[in-house]
Amino acid sequence: MDQNDAIMAALRARAQRREERRRFFKVAGSAAVLASAGSLLSACDDDDKTTTPTPTPTPTPPPTLTDADVLNFALQLEYLEAQFYTYAVTGEGLPGSQLTGTGTQGAIMGGRKVTFSDPVVAQYAAEIAGDEAKHVLFLRNQLGSSAVAQPAIDISAGSTSAFSAAARAAGLINDNQSFDPYANDENFLLGAFVFEDVGVTAYKGAAPLISNKTYLEAAAGILAAEAYHAGLIRTVLYRKGLEAPSLRTSADKISDARDSLDGSSDLDQGISLSDGKSNIVPTDTDGIAYSRSAGQVLNIVYLDKTAKSAGGFFPSGLNGNIKTSAAN
Amino acid sequence: MNEDEDRTIDRLREHGERRQQRREFFRAIAAVAGVAGSMQMAMTIAPAHAQATAVSDADVLNFALNLEYLEAQFYAYAASGVGLSNSDLSGSGSQGAVSGGRQVNFSDQIVAQYAREIAADELAHVKFLRAQLGNSAVAQPAIDIGVGPNSAFSAAARAAGLIGAGETFDPYASDENFLLGAFIFEDVGVTAYKGAAPLITNETYLEAAAGILAAEAYHAAIVRTTLYGKGIDTPALRSSADKISDARDSLDGASDLDQGISPIGSASNIVPLDDNGIAYSRSTGQVLNIVYLNNAAVSGGGFFPSGVNGSIRTSAAN
Repeated sequence: MDQNDAIMAALRARAQRREERRRFFKVAGSAAVLASAGSLLSACDDDDKTTTPTPTPTPTPPPTLTDADVLNFALQLEYLEAQFYTYAVTGEGLPGSQLTGTGTQGAIMGGRKVTFSDPVVAQYAAEIAGDEAKHVLFLRNQLGSSAVAQPAIDISAGSTSAFSAAARAAGLINDNQSFDPYANDENFLLGAFVFEDVGVTAYKGAAPLISNKTYLEAAAGILAAEAYHAGLIRTVLYRKGLEAPSLRTSADKISDARDSLDGSSDLDQGISLSDGKSNIVPTDTDGIAYSRSAGQVLNIVYLDKTAKSAGGFFPSGLNGNIKTSAAN
Repeated sequence: MNEDEDRTIDRLREHGERRQQRREFFRAIAAVAGVAGSMQMAMTIAPAHAQATAVSDADVLNFALNLEYLEAQFYAYAASGVGLSNSDLSGSGSQGAVSGGRQVNFSDQIVAQYAREIAADELAHVKFLRAQLGNSAVAQPAIDIGVGPNSAFSAAARAAGLIGAGETFDPYASDENFLLGAFIFEDVGVTAYKGAAPLITNETYLEAAAGILAAEAYHAAIVRTTLYGKGIDTPALRSSADKISDARDSLDGASDLDQGISPIGSASNIVPLDDNGIAYSRSTGQVLNIVYLNNAAVSGGGFFPSGVNGSIRTSAAN
């Protein structure tokens, strides 16, 4: 057999690990794109659909999402990431001048400096914090006066915090226990892992919705940055997991929790396979990263698999026109 | 088990599927054929006598396929000592052989894991792009991943100042050399897919290309993070990676489109980004500058001694 046994075995192992894969290109033409756009649009008017059963003779066309809507959605994910990393590195948040805008501006709950024991992890945290702060600035500059304000964000560490709820959903802690992502290097990496990969799937899912080619290329560049970040965090967790196996299993459980929040399709993967082999890159059988609709992304950051307009890391919801999670 | 029979059955089964995919592909392209040309003119950094021919989605995907052949073969050989199956290499244009390539005897099993994982991803990319392109897929061109003083890897290492005249860089000799060899390609794939994104007109292909872009960025992060981590005990790994980055940067023209991994102040530099936190783009011509190892406008050289197949094949004139 001239085919590479090891590679094929690895491919098979991936296929076995997850039962359901998204295969965009098994469906015809642009159906996948339409479906993706459809779920995003439906995420915006789910409430209307469910609470207004009155039959309308002429169906109202769904609201059209502008590039600004999509960029503002991304901006709020960047607020969340930038605040988490900035607090972890410096003990302070983003300057107030970078948080203003349309909608209701909210406060940051929690967030504090991590006392890193591994200086290399501290360097990684500093690098990612810088990148995320730049993404906030860049998106705000592109949006100008259309930029939304930072909504209320919960990055605190108590037993009722979003981080603790996420850790509880993943089975890392029990009822009434707290998960503190600022307590040590390991917790910081796991806290970061809660968000990483999600940004990648969010930008990928949004790419076909962006009509302006300049924004599209910029979004592709932020997508790449998020994938580098995720690759960094996953590589470090996998490496440190050699000595501390619970890091790998905890990351795998967080991935499973994300997967159960965002609906029945498999859009997430942990960092190790059942035989301990690496799985740094979460991709489908075509070697392609996953997409999430805006509604699915909100399922994760709201920590709620149903159609909601707030919760989890965004206790008052998002600002802007994309704010409702998908109904799963 | 008769493998040829097995393959024939596979091919027959895939045939109808591919024909259908191909039909849809070209229907999608036909609707937007006019736009591609003007986009190419607007987005490509090109000399004054820039080409006026339109670039189709198939041209762009075939360009990407050539790069995936290169990456997939390198990682497949490094991880297992065996290249891609012949049935994954056929297509339009001149099919060429792979010169060199062999299994790395990894000492760090985690690095072996990474090699295996990336090899599987790159093979999946080859298969995916070939399936999408159907009969339009280009054949694998001649690829040089060999080891010798005149090899492409040695030429790249020499351009980076890692070795002297007449010396050889062997990317299969050790974990460290494998990581540096991988580093030569990584990041380039990211900038290539990002630069190509605005050239792709079909939104379904665009989303797929974004997904391959992400996979390449994950790969690049694995390699860069591992080089950075190992660079604590072996500082030469960081400085060598930095030199390779500089060599890429000098090949692709005057603009700064590349970054090494060494720390800047208190932060690492795993992620190569501009001042806005955004990854760089390279035009197809700039990508070819790097894989041809030539900063002038040529149609072959370096890792592709006979050039790439398809309609995008000339490097930029820098």
